[in-house]
Parts: sequence; structure tokens; C-alpha cells
Amino acid sequence: MVKSSITVTNESGLHLRPASELTKLSHSLNSDITIIHKDQKVNPKSVLNLMSAGITKGATIEIRCEGESEIEDLQKLLAAIASGLGE
Amino acid sequence: MIKVSVSKTTAKGYATGQAYIVRQQEVTIDQNKITQQEVQREIYRYEDAVLKAKEELKELAKKSPIFEAHMILVEDMMLYDGVVNKIKDEFNNAEAALQRTGNEFVEMFENIDDEYMRERATDMKDVTFRIMRHLKGIPENAFLNMTKPCIVVANDLTPSEVSQMNMKFVVGLITQEGGITSHVSIIAKNMGIPCFVGVDGILEKVKSDDIIIMDALESEILIHPDEATINLYEKSAIAYSQRQQEIKRMGNLPSVTVDQRKFCLCGNVGSLEDIKQAILQPIDGIGLFRSEFLYMEKDHFPTEQEQFDAYQNAALLLEKKELIIRTLDIGGDKKLKYYEFMNEENPFLGYRAIRICLDQPEIFKTQLRAILRASAYGNIKIMFPMIISLEELYEAKRILEACKGELTKEEIDFDKDIKVGMMIETPASVFLAEDFAKEVDFFSIGTNDLTQYILAVDRGNQKIATLYNTYHPAVLRAIYHTILSGHKQGILVGMCGEFASDKKAAKLLLGMGLDEFSMSAAEVADVKYELRKTSFHKVQEMLNEVLNASSVEEVLNLIVDL
Repeated sequence: MVKSSITVTNESGLHLRPASELTKLSHSLNSDITIIHKDQKVNPKSVLNLMSAGITKGATIEIRCEGESEIEDLQKLLAAIASGLGE
Repeated sequence: MIKVSVSKTTAKGYATGQAYIVRQQEVTIDQNKITQQEVQREIYRYEDAVLKAKEELKELAKKSPIFEAHMILVEDMMLYDGVVNKIKDEFNNAEAALQRTGNEFVEMFENIDDEYMRERATDMKDVTFRIMRHLKGIPENAFLNMTKPCIVVANDLTPSEVSQMNMKFVVGLITQEGGITSHVSIIAKNMGIPCFVGVDGILEKVKSDDIIIMDALESEILIHPDEATINLYEKSAIAYSQRQQEIKRMGNLPSVTVDQRKFCLCGNVGSLEDIKQAILQPIDGIGLFRSEFLYMEKDHFPTEQEQFDAYQNAALLLEKKELIIRTLDIGGDKKLKYYEFMNEENPFLGYRAIRICLDQPEIFKTQLRAILRASAYGNIKIMFPMIISLEELYEAKRILEACKGELTKEEIDFDKDIKVGMMIETPASVFLAEDFAKEVDFFSIGTNDLTQYILAVDRGNQKIATLYNTYHPAVLRAIYHTILSGHKQGILVGMCGEFASDKKAAKLLLGMGLDEFSMSAAEVADVKYELRKTSFHKVQEMLNEVLNASSVEEVLNLIVDL
């Protein structure tokens, strides 16, 4: 398992549009992915689960990936979040 | 004619039209339990409905990206699991299972402590209803009878409903529920049509085809206006759109001098109304928001929530443009109805502004918490008035940090990098400017008080009115010293006194290196016009001579050609 932390910079946090981008990306990756925000663990492959974490601008989240391609997958997720998820 | 006043306005302007009432499509859901044999059939029915919904959304996504997100939502695995489990384990039919699961998620969103996230409950309702329609075989709510300009009035509008409307006929939008970050608001803003949200009870007051006027400047809805009123508004609407075009032309021109020196023009405001007027001008932000009005218009010290509402509203109106909120500046000539100030010999040298706030930290903290909370909604900066010593500044900043700590503990969002600045309006703050510049993010020179304190001239006393002059060399040198001291530490220096709107003074200040000019908003367009045709280098060249002048007369003679 690999993990890393990152700060969300989207103006309105992970609301529907950026969250669904993250969900779309997660579905394309083979790893089991967990996002942890304030002790709440969510699965980003479900946009509803992801949004239930109420991740707002400036929040630091931890991403965990587990699977054969875990290192590449984690890098892809970090890059996508850092680039603002299409916003 | 009936008048309804509204509080949440998201787009500006006027609109007149017939009311077009949107009723929510009603569906009745059979709650009958199914048998074990029917479980698989119900799951198939649900999957089929999801597929059809997705097909529909694929088309819609070409028009608006919000539906791409809806495509992800309809197929969400938690939604699917929720529905299927209710079919398998609780023998709900597909409709009942979907209704229950949808409601669970709507409730989840409504409980999130973030306005923007809460609004997403509407998306959830929208998606659930789309699947439900396919389960029940109901066609989409078509707005076929929309054939003339109309103002749409609804309880709430989902993105799907908006996408079905023929927007070329829609001149305004009113919803009974919803907030300023809802989908409708955003669409209205993009279209530049007025939009009122959260208008309580409007559906009881308006019937289909009633003529209504929306006045987003006065925040009013007029129902059944008479002929004269309609004509009056027609004229206002034309004048408004002409003015908008003018400002747009001017606003689009960059704030730079002929030799490409950038400057920043802001408005000074004392109420939310002022902000609504100010944003019609080519401003880059609000350089001075006098928070006193909140205290003066009430019969009690405004609560944190009352203040938060006002600051949040202000931040949203400005759409990410800078908003500098000056903390409470009462005392001096500004009194409160509900608080007794002791009689003072010299109120301007007395118990006022930051001195009151540091003496009664509870009043101060209430305001700072409200400002911090609102900072999550825009580009807010905090400014302390009347500072004369570093100790005062440290104490004010310490209390601010304590408020930040409280909010973090309470998990309330705020801008963690909020910028903190101070007014330079006392001689002490000028002399200590270099020291202060190391401790704040910006300075704002308040020329009205600074002039009166440097010259020891009461600006309200008519008998000595001629002595009061900001062109006095002592005041000019104090201003220049402040700008240099600020720049030495790399912080921005602005001015929020009316001196910044004096055309000659503005040019002189530009030459001194002033970064931001904040004035009553109505002056901004003129000053922008003047500064745009000024050469920064030319003013700089004459600066030394002006600063060395030893009388007002000499100064005025030197700048006569500016």
C-alpha cells in the first residue's frame, strides 16, 4: 500500500463537478483507493461517498492506493487533484 | 400593486414579464412489498431505467457540463447498492427503493456544513427524479407553452428543468427555495438576467400570467404594477443597459498609465446598498468597507450571525474581487443608540475605534469571527483602524489568531491566509511605518484623519476650514514616507481617503508609487480616465521638487499642469 497527502485547492471544494472527475479517474485505475479526510474514509469510486466527506477548499486529504499499479495510480490521482480536477 | 422585498439577489438589472409558474411533477409511489420471485425483475427494471436516464444525459451533456456530473451520479455504486439492497432485503419495489435511497442522500447533503455542498441536494433530487420518470414511464416536463417573454417562478429549479426551458423567452428567475450558489443562480448570472432565490411564499402571491417586475437594484418584486410603473421601469431598464455597456467599454480597458504602470481602483462603501451601486462602476474591488453601518442601524450590538450574513453577502456580490473590511470604527463623531459613550473633552483623541475593541475584546471577537467565516466566500482582507503602537497591533493580531483557533476547532471554514492590514491615519503610525510594515500585509492611508491629526486641525470646524489641506507639505511627506516604508518591506500601500479621487492628487500619488486608490465608487470612472492618460515617469520626475516644496501654495503651483 502507498499513501500521500495533498491539499485541495478547488474554490468550492470537491463539489459535484470536480468530485465526478475524480470518480471517473478512479474507475480507470486498478488499485483499491481510499481517501481519508478528518478521520472519515471514503471510496472515490463512488461520487456520493466522496462528496459525503464534505471536502472543502484548503482541506488536506490522504490518498491510499493498494494494488499492482499502486505507485503509478497514486501519482495519477495526485497530479489530477493538484491540477484542480478540470476546474 | 403588491411589493415583495427579497434578500438574495444573484444577478443584477431589471425584468418585466408575465409569470410562468413551474409546478413540480408529482408522482405517486406504490409502497406495496414485492415477493422473492419479483426481486430480480425489479432489479432489472431499475437497471433499465438507469440506462435510459444515462442515454438522455449523454445528449444533455453536450449542452451543459453539469450533466456530465449527473451521468456519474446516476451510475453511482452507492446509489445502486442502496436501491438494490432495499429490493433484495426489504422487498421494496424499484420505485419505493429509489425514493427511499434518494431521500437518504438528499438528507446527507442537506446536513453538510457548507452552503455549496448543501445545494448539491438539488442535483441528487434531479437525478433521482430522472430515473424515477423512466421507471414510471412519465415524459419529461416540457415547457412547450412558453411562447412569450416570461419570468419563471418555481419552488426550486433543477438543472434538468432549466435545460428544458426555452431560455430565449426567460427574462428573469424567481425561486422560493435555494441559495446564491444554486444552479439557477449561476445560469442567471451567465445570462445576465435578474434572479431572486429563497423568496419565501412567492408562489402564494403570484399566479400564472400575472405581470411582475423584478428590480434587482432595489431588491424588490412588484406584482400587478400599473401602466405608469411599467413605463417607468421600461425607461430604467434601457438606461441601465446603456450604462452597463459604457462601463463595460471602460472596464475592459486595463488600469495602466500611458507608460504601462499598473494601478488599482477601488470603492469606499458603507453598506450593502453601496456595494450594489459600486459594482456597476469599473472597480477592482472595495478598498474600504466601513463596518460601522451594521452597528449604527441596529438597536443592539450586531450578533456574529447578523454580521456574517452581511459580510458573506458583500463577498459574494464582489465575486472574488478584493473586499477590505475595516473593523469597527465608532467613537469620535460616530455614536450608537444603544451604547452610552462617556462625555469626552476630545472625542477624536478619545475612546474610539481599535481602542474600544481592545478594551472590550468580546465586541471585537464577535466581529472578527464573522469576518473570518465570511472569508470562505470571497477575497476578504481585514484592516485595523487608528493604530498608534506595535503593542496595539500585536494585541489585535493575537485576538484574531485566537478567533482562528476557535473556528479551526469548531471545523468552520475560513481563509487561513487572510491578509491583515492597518490604516495609516495617525502621526505615530507614519513615524513607525517601517516597523509596522514588517507586521502587516498592507497599509491603507486614511487621509481625512491623517490630515486632521498631522495639522491639528478639526476638519468639522468651519472657522478653520481653510487650514485643513491635504496638499500641506507635512501631509504629502508623511504620505510619501508611508509608501516608501511599505514598499521597502514589499507590502502594498493604498489610500482610502477622498484625496485619492482628487484628479491632480491621484496623479501625484501615482508618481509616489501608491498601489491602490480607493474612493467613493462614483468617482472611479473619472479617475480611471485621468490616470490612463498620465505618464508615470513624468510625474516621478517632478516628484522631488514637489516634496521639497515648503508651502501649500508652492505645491499647487508645481502641479498646476498635472
